[in-house]
Amino acid sequence: MATQYSAPFDEQGEVREGFLCPLCLKDLQSFYQLQCHYEEEHSSEDRDVKGQLKNLVQIAKKAKNKLLKKDGGERAEGGAQDRYEAFSYGGVDPCMWDPQEIGAVRSHLSDFKRHRAARIDHYVVEVNKLIIRLEKLTSFDRTNTESAKIRAIERSVVPWVSDQDVPFCPDCGNKFTIRNRRHHCRLCGSIMCKRCTELITIPFANKLTSASKHSVSTHGSPNLSPNTSAQTSRRGSISSLSSVSSVLEEKDDDKIRCCQHCKDTLLKREMQMDEKEHTPEIIKLYQRLRACMDRVDEKAPEYIRMAQSINAGETTYNLDHANNLRVEVQKLYELIDALSKKILILGLNEEPKPHPKNLQLQKMIRYSATLFVQEKLLGLMSLPTKEQYEELKEKRRRENEEKLLRERQAALEAQRRRDEKKKDSLPRSSDTLNGQPQRTGRIRKVEGWLPTSGVPRNRETSDPLLQQIENITSYIQQAQVAGRVDEVRMLEENLRQLQDEYDQQQVETAIRMSKELAEEEAMQKEQLEVLRKREESREQKKTLSQHSRAHSLDFRDHQQVAGWQDKHTAALDLQFPRQDIIPQSPPDTRPVLSLHISPVLPSKTVPLNPFEDEEDESEPAPPDQIQQNGNKEYNPFAEDDEEHTEHRGGSAHEVKQVSSNPFETSPEREYTPQNPFEEDEETCTTGNPFEEPDDLGANEAIEEDLLLQQIDNIKAYIFDAKHSGRMDEVELLTENLKELKKTLAKQKGQTK
Amino acid sequence: MNVVLAVKQYVSKMIEDSGPGMKVLLMDKETTSVVSMVYMQSEILQKEVYLFERIDSGNRENMKHLKAICFLRPTKENVEYLIKELRRPKYSVYFLYFSNVISKSDVKSLAEADEQEVVAEVQEFYGDYIAVNPHVFSLNLIGCSQGRNWDPVQLSRTTQGLTALLLSLKKCPMIRYQLSSEMAKRLAEGVKQVITKEYELFDFRRTEVPPLLLILDRSDDAITPLLNQWTYQAMVHELLGINNNRIDLSRVPGISKDLKEVVLSAENDEFYANNMYMNFGEIGTNIKNLMEDFQRKKPKEQQKLESISDMKAFVENYPQFKKMSGTVSKHVTVVGELSRLVSERHLMEVSEVEQELACQNDHSNALQNVKRLLQIQRVSELDATRLVMLYALHYERHSSNALQSLLTDLRNRGVSEKYRRLVSSVVDFGGKRVRGSDLFSPKDAVAITKQFFKGLKGVENVYTQHQPFLLDTLDQLIKGKLKDNLYPYVGPSTLRDRPQDIIVFMVGGATYEEAQTVYNLNRTTPGVRIVLGGTTIHNTKSFLEEVQAAGFHGRPTETYQGPTRSSVRR
Repeated sequence: MATQYSAPFDEQGEVREGFLCPLCLKDLQSFYQLQCHYEEEHSSEDRDVKGQLKNLVQIAKKAKNKLLKKDGGERAEGGAQDRYEAFSYGGVDPCMWDPQEIGAVRSHLSDFKRHRAARIDHYVVEVNKLIIRLEKLTSFDRTNTESAKIRAIERSVVPWVSDQDVPFCPDCGNKFTIRNRRHHCRLCGSIMCKRCTELITIPFANKLTSASKHSVSTHGSPNLSPNTSAQTSRRGSISSLSSVSSVLEEKDDDKIRCCQHCKDTLLKREMQMDEKEHTPEIIKLYQRLRACMDRVDEKAPEYIRMAQSINAGETTYNLDHANNLRVEVQKLYELIDALSKKILILGLNEEPKPHPKNLQLQKMIRYSATLFVQEKLLGLMSLPTKEQYEELKEKRRRENEEKLLRERQAALEAQRRRDEKKKDSLPRSSDTLNGQPQRTGRIRKVEGWLPTSGVPRNRETSDPLLQQIENITSYIQQAQVAGRVDEVRMLEENLRQLQDEYDQQQVETAIRMSKELAEEEAMQKEQLEVLRKREESREQKKTLSQHSRAHSLDFRDHQQVAGWQDKHTAALDLQFPRQDIIPQSPPDTRPVLSLHISPVLPSKTVPLNPFEDEEDESEPAPPDQIQQNGNKEYNPFAEDDEEHTEHRGGSAHEVKQVSSNPFETSPEREYTPQNPFEEDEETCTTGNPFEEPDDLGANEAIEEDLLLQQIDNIKAYIFDAKHSGRMDEVELLTENLKELKKTLAKQKGQTK
Repeated sequence: MNVVLAVKQYVSKMIEDSGPGMKVLLMDKETTSVVSMVYMQSEILQKEVYLFERIDSGNRENMKHLKAICFLRPTKENVEYLIKELRRPKYSVYFLYFSNVISKSDVKSLAEADEQEVVAEVQEFYGDYIAVNPHVFSLNLIGCSQGRNWDPVQLSRTTQGLTALLLSLKKCPMIRYQLSSEMAKRLAEGVKQVITKEYELFDFRRTEVPPLLLILDRSDDAITPLLNQWTYQAMVHELLGINNNRIDLSRVPGISKDLKEVVLSAENDEFYANNMYMNFGEIGTNIKNLMEDFQRKKPKEQQKLESISDMKAFVENYPQFKKMSGTVSKHVTVVGELSRLVSERHLMEVSEVEQELACQNDHSNALQNVKRLLQIQRVSELDATRLVMLYALHYERHSSNALQSLLTDLRNRGVSEKYRRLVSSVVDFGGKRVRGSDLFSPKDAVAITKQFFKGLKGVENVYTQHQPFLLDTLDQLIKGKLKDNLYPYVGPSTLRDRPQDIIVFMVGGATYEEAQTVYNLNRTTPGVRIVLGGTTIHNTKSFLEEVQAAGFHGRPTETYQGPTRSSVRR
């Protein structure tokens, strides 16, 4: 926030994060402190702001009235536009102008390079010459060679300027005398006085020449390994004899005398070499940091896709795989955090202190890493735990079974009634069965599927499409286990297409059937009611297409409502994608339906899911109400109470306290998108009075689900807080986490 | 034709071309403003640009692990700094981008300085102007004239800025200028010269209708910059001052530290983008909605953070909450300050009279109103002076001109000598004598009929009656009716069709009122795209500075004898 105000390129762009009070921007350490701060500091100010605002609005209103007083109700803008009425409308806002290509550019690089090349050639030749001479000068064993011989070699490398030509030192201008003797630069042959000479040590020379030597051959430096070099071994015997005398005569023999200019050039060269080899710490850290960021960019979208799918209870992805990925991504975030922190404090404890610019650079890197993490981490949704996931799947299976049972019952009942009332309709439907092999298959499938509903692979299928779908599903699982993300994606795509096709086929059949059966006589009341409920639930939720399809299919054959429903629950298991083609309900049934609203409604107004009710019954709860659930006092947070309440079947009175909090919609909001399945179930529940007992169990699952999610979230917050350095908050959150876990354990115990 | 985008694309390209790795952006004073107008710091950070340095700053450390992107104007000083830099490079690689045409000899001397071969790129990227809005640009030059002639330095800068704009938009236009202005003519010729010289650069794909560059002079309409404004952007500039999207609020009583300077950028602030052309009344309503929205989201006293879910929701909303509270407090502060100034300075009344002076022809009524307002002590010195200025400009040659008595009133009010002198300066600057066209009374029959109908319909809005003279000019231009003898072409060829892409440049500075006018024209005229530029974007204060800097010092008020021909300095 602060950066919004600071100038875009503010030198001291200080980074402010944490719990800033939005009104006075004071940095507070935690939620609680911020909250207290609000209450203490801004409760009155708040009114001031409001008052100011009111005042402002009044002025504005006054202005508006005045501005518009002669203009009736027309907007002032309209007035301005009137002036352009000469032209027709339809111009474009400048922000919306067509995208444009980048403006003109002109490169001078080739010119630049040409000029530079001319200059560089000259420079490089000079340097290389020196290096080559240096190499020659160091290519023999200096310490063990006679000085006369050394002199001779030196003179052969570069011709020396004759002494007579130079009466004064060219660098300092002193006259050469007996005492102020002439010295020759061994690299360029020029003359200078002793004071102006520079000396090149052998290691330094070796360092400079080693680069070029390395490129030619790998023979070592003469000093370090005299015997490996052919040259040194050749001279070995002579040099050892004269070593003493040479030291006496000139002790500088192990150094190479040169002039300042040559030394300068060589020093520059050395610097360049150093830079080439040396990588500062920050670079290493930064490269790792970027690598992490790149990997996050790569992994995070993949994870989000997985998490969405898993939270929806689908089996396309493997939970373990997703969990691993989550851990991996989270680790990456932590790594980014740690690395950027390391960069931030780089060199802070060293002497001398790093240059302020370096510190600024480190700060900026840290800031951008923080931005990166903040931006991406919060978008990372949580996963259900294993148990939860099992439960999710289990629940769905159970639900499917329930549905099956229920609908079979209904079907049987209907069948019975039909048998009683309309015996003539039976042969007709069996006709249809025979006429439509695909349908027969399906019905068989439905029946055969019942005992093994949780294991789709064992199911016998006559439809080749279904078989194909199954195959692909198993391939996907295999691919997932093998971690081949690309293949998984491809297979999914295939699966989707197949499923679409299959759906299409089904719908077509359904339409055909519904046409055939539309001629059937008026429906019975019970059947209508079933239908009505379906309709109701569909309208109420407008959710998963399977349902709408189930509903629409009902129109075809009311005797087989249950059977169809079963079929579609089976379809559900296969994760049928959304399908758009929904057979239209015959218009003449609508008025009849509306007659039955009243009997259906009551079942709807007693929702078993407490979430549904929360909003409607929101009224401020007296604070002492929180204490009512005294048995849960170990947890200071109302959340547990809330869950507890849910256990008891969602009495509105106790739920109220939830709605009194400022984020009353949040639990629901968060829960809805991540768990479309509950919604699913809810739909059935509302529509079906049989299911009450099962639903209670489902509720528990939801709560656990929520709890686990919260645990996950809090973990994320802890991470976030840690990384912003708000330690007290971390403590607080950790405590909460523990309590939540306790609750979870307890709850699990209860469930079992 | 979107100037903000044009500059932004240049900057993005520079950053992209330098590849991955830590980067430093090396700029000069002017390019710093150029870049800061199109990129937010947080945005550019994401592209691995971590440091922003001035080429002339001596306090730069050797940082061989950074790549340097240099975006510089090709001035002599910058080239020298750069030569020094290249001799002893502080960064590993240099990518050189010049904001305008650089001479061959400069390229050569740079190349010769690059002994260590650190330069990897040398390009011209023509981002040599300040992109204010998608359709508005400025050069941030004040005091570009001496009398009625160009300051030569400013002329060359303006020519560079304008040609850079053309290059960045890839337009090779036909040029028209206002005949009555010598400065407009000089500039038009300068631009033409550059186009001729750099014909290779200006060789763009031909469009059916060539674009048009119209160069106007501020002195033709001295009224617009003297009026109080009521649309958000213009009003903020008039009352608080906008400098490179930044607003200095340090003088606002009781301002918190973080709000002393705020940034209003339509690129990053949705509320501002949606409301910058709204009038004050509408903004009041909108900011109330914004505030209510914020109040709904922010935790209230009674809404305690008791449960985990509360806390979670709080944290979940936190980034947005933080951002939103930033926007809210910023706009509430700005609008609050505006409304404080409006009531403190009686701006509603002042503006009503201003508009009357600018748009109606009732001398006695106007005089009476001005006299009345001059008696009110809370009317500020500046507002009192501007009323008298408007009166002086409008009724300059009126038979019963009472300027003298108004000036006396000003003196009695204790208005400073500087301001009183400025009254005559402004008349010198933009009086009837220098105006190429008639600001106040419509001349032809069509215009009179139009006015008549306008009269019948009633004035739509007391405070926004005034339409800048620019609207009239552009209106005629779009219809192909702008007279060639008043606005001649540079060169022999003329435009046959109605123009489609128009670039208007106002020598002596444009205003935000004109920016809004052009915005509305763009919105309402299909097939026409107009970009407005100026040597700067004026409010009344900067306009008066400009007049003063131009050397229209005015005469001491005591000896002022009314508008006489001889008193007008050339």
